Amino acid sequence: MLLVYEPTNSPEARAKRLAEVGAKHMALAEELRAAGVQKDGAGLQGVETATTVATAAGGAQTLHDGPFAETREYLGGYYLIEVPDLDAALAVAKRVPVGDGGKVEVRPLMVY
Amino acid sequence: MRGWAEAISATRPRVVAALAARLRDLDLAEDAFADATASALTAWPLQAPRDPAAWLWRAALRRAIDAKRRAVTRARYVPDGPAPDATPEEVLMAAGEPIPDERLRLIFICCHPAIAPDARVALTLKVVCGLSTERLARAFLVAEPAMLQRITRAKRKIRDAGVPFEVPGREAWPERLEAVLATLEIAYAQAYEDAALAGDAAGFAAEVMRLSGILAELAPEEPEVLGLAALVRFAEARRPARLDDTGAMTPPDQQDTALWRADMIEAGANLLDRAAELRRTGPRQIMAAIHALHLSRSEDRPTPWGDIAALYEVLAQLRPNVVTAVNRAVALGEAFGADAGLEALAQAEAPEDWLPYQAARAGLCAKAGRTAEAARALKAALALGPAPAERLFLQRRLAALAG
Repeated sequence: MLLVYEPTNSPEARAKRLAEVGAKHMALAEELRAAGVQKDGAGLQGVETATTVATAAGGAQTLHDGPFAETREYLGGYYLIEVPDLDAALAVAKRVPVGDGGKVEVRPLMVY
Repeated sequence: MRGWAEAISATRPRVVAALAARLRDLDLAEDAFADATASALTAWPLQAPRDPAAWLWRAALRRAIDAKRRAVTRARYVPDGPAPDATPEEVLMAAGEPIPDERLRLIFICCHPAIAPDARVALTLKVVCGLSTERLARAFLVAEPAMLQRITRAKRKIRDAGVPFEVPGREAWPERLEAVLATLEIAYAQAYEDAALAGDAAGFAAEVMRLSGILAELAPEEPEVLGLAALVRFAEARRPARLDDTGAMTPPDQQDTALWRADMIEAGANLLDRAAELRRTGPRQIMAAIHALHLSRSEDRPTPWGDIAALYEVLAQLRPNVVTAVNRAVALGEAFGADAGLEALAQAEAPEDWLPYQAARAGLCAKAGRTAEAARALKAALALGPAPAERLFLQRRLAALAG
């Protein structure tokens, strides 16, 4: 799983970034699908659309507006890929288009 | 018996690396090697092996395959991941085949950038060199359970994150070698610092030196690899001169040059020459060259501080950090006078509670005749808890100021 993080900023700045990298995302996803590497993926709407379900100790659940943590980055989307090892995943992660300050986290899925 | 133990330790990097590559499992490789070692210590005194490495490789491989088979029988299914690819027949056939050299592969696995730098150092010294968790804990000043946890976590990350058991492709080498070199640098810095305190840390430095030598042998076209190997040898060359008779630290420009090890200096110089021929400079080569300049001092040739300062100028571009900045200030002070050094030190932005900064400041202030400030800096340095050898050195300088 490649988790794509972008710096938090205004909706306008995000729209501008999307205009810049959107086509690149499409091209990369297309190429990965054709190679049989990509299994799934999507972009996420902005953090202002987020709602969080928090479960306290004891099981009580409450709803919060906004993302679960105020950080300098937000999860902008994800790629689900299937590759033989970490180095192969990192090679794809390096090609994911992100804006300045963007990050891509690579994590294996749990296997059940 | 001691002879056999040494023979076993010498074969370890090669045999464990070959086992890890074949079995694709670090724990299994280590356990199998340990088992084979135990059998060797009882078998060898009765009949000496012709080739200790080959003996251990075969015995360990047989044990690992037995262990895997038992695990399979117990669980009644083959675990995920590549199955062991050798049957007992193949192992027997492998008896005549030379042990594959997989040391580079093992070093790349243990130093993968996905593993935290601290853990990389510990894992590499444990798996490749066979240092015990207890000894690593002592060298890195942590409790043994904490060290064990660090190593266990690193191994788990290798398995769960899917760190490949392959030598990375050539295109990935700059990035991956950087991680390997940074690992060895941390390990050596630890050994170097430690060595002033306790004699048994010298053996630890020897392991790091051996590792840097292996790497230089495996990647002879990489100038920074050669540079690091040279750097370690130059630093080790001065080890016998680093403490005086009273156990106080002695800085390079006051060490007795007769105590410096000529064999190490020569080995380092050869490595650095080879690195220079490749014509791609880098921070480790520059640091090695600085060491070489310190080592060029003799009775009729003073330390060439001007050249050293010039190299620190280059290093400050390649590796702009506070360590470089403080060392550069000291060199400038020696080469061009205390004012030049103090000016550079003021620009270094070093933290006040950092011992090398206060020690450098004390030296430069004393040189400038600012005795009260020098004394204040020395007291600040002493308050930061220096190691015994350095404490003696600082105390002596403080006494000299007063007198």
